[in-house]
Amino acid sequence: MKELHAGGIGARLPRKEDIPILRGEGRYFADISIAGQLHVMFLRSPHAHARILSIDVSAAEELPGVVAVITGEMIRNEMLPLPQPSVGGGLPGRKPKFWPLAVEKVKFHGEPVAAVVAETPYLAEDALEAIFVEYEPLPYVGDMEAALDPSSPRVHEDWNDNEIFKSNFRATRSADEHAAHIEEAKRRIAEAPFVVRQRFRTHRCGITALEPRGALAVWDATEGITAWMTTQRPHLQRLSLAEVLKLPQAKVRVIAPRDQGGGFGMKGSVYREPLLVAYLARHLRRPVRWLETREENLMAAGQGRDQIHDIELAADANGRLVALRDKIQTDAGDGCLGGTWGYAMPMVGGMRLPNAYILPFCDIQLRVAVTNKASLCPARGFGIFAPRFALERALDMLARKIGVEPAELLRKNFITTFPARLSTGLGYSSGDFVKTFDRLVELVDIPEFRRRQKEALSLGRYIGLGISTGVEVSGVDNLSYLTATGGPSYATVDLRVDSEGHVTVAYGDGPTGQGSQTTIAQVVAEELGIDPQNVTVLSGDTLTTTYSPGTVSGRGASMVLPAVALACRDLKKKIVRVVANDASMVAGDEEFSFADGYITYCGNSNLRRSFAELAHRIVIGAVDLPPGDTGGLEQRAVFEATRGNVCFSAHAAFVEVSPETGRVKITRYVTSDDAGVVINPLIVEGQIQGGVIQGISNFFFEEYVYNDEGQQMTSTLESYKIAKASDVPRIEIYHDAGTPNPTNPLGTRGIGEGCIAPVPGALGNAISDALRPLGIEITDLPVRPGPLFHRMDVALRDDQQA
Amino acid sequence: MNTSVSITINGIAYERSIPIRMLLVDFIRYEAGLTGTHVGCTFEGACGACTVHLDGDAIKSCLVLAVQCDGRWITTVEGLAEGSELHPLQIAFNEHHALQCGYCTSGLLMTGVDLIEKDSELNEEKVRHGITGNLCRCAGYSNIVDAILSVARARTHEEEV
Amino acid sequence: MYPSPIEGYVAPTTVDEAVAAFARWGEETHYIAGGQSLMQAIKSRMVRPKCLVDLQKIDVIQGIHQEPASIRIGAMTRYCDIADSELLEGPFAALVDGAGHVGDRQVRHRGTIGGSLCWNYISACMPAVNLAIGSQLTLASLSGQTRAIDIEDFLGAPLETSRQEGELLLSVELPQIVGRAGSAYRKWSLMTDGLPVIGVGAFLQLDDVGSCSSARISVTGLESGPIRVLTAERALIGVSHSNTKGIEEALNDSSTSLDTHSDEEADAEYRRVLFRHLGRDVVTRAFMRALGNRE
Repeated sequence: MKELHAGGIGARLPRKEDIPILRGEGRYFADISIAGQLHVMFLRSPHAHARILSIDVSAAEELPGVVAVITGEMIRNEMLPLPQPSVGGGLPGRKPKFWPLAVEKVKFHGEPVAAVVAETPYLAEDALEAIFVEYEPLPYVGDMEAALDPSSPRVHEDWNDNEIFKSNFRATRSADEHAAHIEEAKRRIAEAPFVVRQRFRTHRCGITALEPRGALAVWDATEGITAWMTTQRPHLQRLSLAEVLKLPQAKVRVIAPRDQGGGFGMKGSVYREPLLVAYLARHLRRPVRWLETREENLMAAGQGRDQIHDIELAADANGRLVALRDKIQTDAGDGCLGGTWGYAMPMVGGMRLPNAYILPFCDIQLRVAVTNKASLCPARGFGIFAPRFALERALDMLARKIGVEPAELLRKNFITTFPARLSTGLGYSSGDFVKTFDRLVELVDIPEFRRRQKEALSLGRYIGLGISTGVEVSGVDNLSYLTATGGPSYATVDLRVDSEGHVTVAYGDGPTGQGSQTTIAQVVAEELGIDPQNVTVLSGDTLTTTYSPGTVSGRGASMVLPAVALACRDLKKKIVRVVANDASMVAGDEEFSFADGYITYCGNSNLRRSFAELAHRIVIGAVDLPPGDTGGLEQRAVFEATRGNVCFSAHAAFVEVSPETGRVKITRYVTSDDAGVVINPLIVEGQIQGGVIQGISNFFFEEYVYNDEGQQMTSTLESYKIAKASDVPRIEIYHDAGTPNPTNPLGTRGIGEGCIAPVPGALGNAISDALRPLGIEITDLPVRPGPLFHRMDVALRDDQQA
Repeated sequence: MNTSVSITINGIAYERSIPIRMLLVDFIRYEAGLTGTHVGCTFEGACGACTVHLDGDAIKSCLVLAVQCDGRWITTVEGLAEGSELHPLQIAFNEHHALQCGYCTSGLLMTGVDLIEKDSELNEEKVRHGITGNLCRCAGYSNIVDAILSVARARTHEEEV
Repeated sequence: MYPSPIEGYVAPTTVDEAVAAFARWGEETHYIAGGQSLMQAIKSRMVRPKCLVDLQKIDVIQGIHQEPASIRIGAMTRYCDIADSELLEGPFAALVDGAGHVGDRQVRHRGTIGGSLCWNYISACMPAVNLAIGSQLTLASLSGQTRAIDIEDFLGAPLETSRQEGELLLSVELPQIVGRAGSAYRKWSLMTDGLPVIGVGAFLQLDDVGSCSSARISVTGLESGPIRVLTAERALIGVSHSNTKGIEEALNDSSTSLDTHSDEEADAEYRRVLFRHLGRDVVTRAFMRALGNRE
């Protein structure tokens, strides 16, 4: 076994970023104030769909402390609408035009209609009540299937229908080739001895972060806009701000605060409100701040997963999958969301639908509808929560049809040769799904559970086991990323060493709690042989960092950390040159070791110099350096993925369902994950623990509910229910059956994004397994006790009658 | 509509003239400048990120007016450490990786300290029940429970010795 | 998010001062007890108080007191104090059941029994618990008079009570117990300690042989507000703790006539199912407590 470097790769190092936060010295967005700042609050539409006939702001303008009241009409000629190139390129679908405030009509309950700027937020809220808007209600478009019907009223009036995106995932096949492919899928399904046909429905839910959004902008005639913003992607915000305000990029600086209270995709988009805040700062020549309320957050941001799958899945007599057909429909809401437009998620989800399985023939069709709801937004898992639920459930049902343990069916159909390419064109670089899966199977002891299950049933108790898997592509190549997001995927880091040997690493992402200060420090510690406490990480400031796509899709471990390693390795070359030159010798990099704060010549351990001394030698004593070298110790590195970095998770859920109340209790939950080389087990386990709990919370509790008139009924944390400590179990996490990732220099895989996706399948399968004696299959989410009780009750009554 | 108050926070008396309607959490954050106490909901008081101690009891500072705390004493997360010496629960949170984004953390520390100080027989179930007023979105609770229990057990052990 | 402007704030130390302050400020004046519901309403601007009369400094309406004949709970007694009280055992343990699971730890440190009874929220626990126990309330009027009222006459539809403008709830008197009695309360919600979809309270008196001689069954979470379930109460008379079938039948039969509603949380039928499920549990526990059995 490899020896652990103190605080280096593999160490369970407590996080560096914790201490200030624990002392109450975190620096979150709301902790930043600028003297003289004004406060914005938004008046939001009470209607799902209505024409704005008039807005009377005169009374509001007269109230104490009110500086300005702004409407859509006032800004439509002052700033450009989205889409603009930074958030409009790439994605092959429609992009509705929108301004930060509604123009002419409102398209969802909660859309900003007017903004008050006042001396205090209390006074701003007072003034909201004095704005009078006359609306003419329009028909609510709220059902995705009805919305796609040609007769539906239109959400965007300049469109001829409500279809924002569609795809048949034909990859690189020509139209003719694809027609043949589909024909073959159809034939195989028709001829297969075992076929499951089922509709699966995932509800609108997501991961609302505990810290809401916010923006604070300052205008300065020389430097332009400086905007602090809660964002996972500061550089993208900068590009879009520059575009809508018609400023050169050099006049826009965006800063994501050092500490951010969670993102999970919700802080990864270009939203209306910060664009307006920046505009107002310039317009009013005063600092302007907006601190989102939870109500606004639950109404306008963070809604995801709203999807229908009509699946047909077929296997041959030997239990090998032969073909898959899936008609996917997604409710994108109004689609007015810079970056993903409500459909990048289902698009990616469709591409990733075949998951870990050999499925040579897939007929997958996706149609995404716009409706009068808040735009669908990225949420941890980026589009794969719904497809994983649908396919993993279908596999479970198929196994039952064949008459085998579901685990056996999965194991028989895993992709085993890499690199692999799915029929949708998506590539997997490496992995060993069987090994990781077998570890899970070993941990759960299926035969023993079946014995207990039988025994329990004889006592009238319903217990079940569900297994599911999920492949996540974290850190993809530039081309794929450009297609999906309109930007490249590479990671850039700038590393510099001061004359005491302290290392600072700067990069342009906006971390939101992933522990990147610690893992980056650990990689530096490992590579340079220094104490991780001697590493400082800077992020989030577009002025001091180069372009970076952002803290998204598990890129930290799979892209940023490899870039850090590359930078360290290049830096070491220079240090070695200096050491060798000073000793008047010729030596290669590999002849020196970097450990415990020293650089030591392997051929003679007397030639040993401390890292700190060398840092001073090169940064300050910068004379007599090797020919061609200059003073200073700093290095930039860029890491580009050649193929998608893949991570893999296998989950097992054990449940008991009460026939008295329909309540589901999770009695055990185990995961086996391939996170590649683990930099910090504490952090990897933390990501999985948290990700699985979020999945459980989505599955049972959370739901954004719109009533028949399109009123959003879940805009408080009492009505939008997030799991509390007593509602969830402890997750047993194993990552000892992973495989190093060959496509990056560290062997890492990004586990944070994908670890949520197997959850709905595992839980759905477990509950269905428990209730198999009653013939109940879980097909719709969320699973709530009341409806489940009724289904059980009906089945039990039928049983008694029979 | 303004009124004068004197509220003692972490041992320091803050005398201010404030609007009656000012929430305690805004007094703490903007009048006293102690930004470790966070806000995570609108009016419902359901997230617990703003939890502080009022006369020794954990309460939500967004569901109390500052004026109601005139003459009373408050402890916030900034008051847990004694100088450079962290409270044992702060250390335990670090060691058990009980925080990710950290936004819920100050509230959970205040609830956790309240639990530890008032119940000498804590177990996992009691701790989970005790922190239901604090939502954590990242960590999935188990590490938080472990951190609180580790401090509670160390206390029990100390008392036995 | 933020309260609308408030003109006055008074924190009296006596009941007389409190009612006088209320009278002085007049319309749109609100007493504030623990404020855990009222502050939500104020922050959402559903309630826009001109003046708040804060009751927290009035000592005489706080605490749980053993009086010669009965137990008196001051209206400003907090949930946490009720949940931890050693006086409230056996016949009154439903108060402990209820108070120990209201909201969360922080809410229980502020919220009060009196505040909850006067607010009478649709799914509050304290009204149903006190309805089961049969508490008597004492109120002080603006003119300084006090009056006693049965909890049943006090509670109305959700958010309604028979409290007059400016009247101040002083205390909750628990009934005098002769012989063996026990009570229990339980609620059901999707989330731990969430607002109950249904909550059921039971208060049983036993005769010499341990059969139920009188029963009070209450339920919360109904659109009608908290009510007693008289059919269940009647059916339980004569039933013993070991007669599980009798207990079950009493609750099953009464549940069919229960006027429940459907909403996002639960449909009407499921509410009846929960009533039966919780009802069996609380009746059984009330029996156990009356019989002095350890739980």
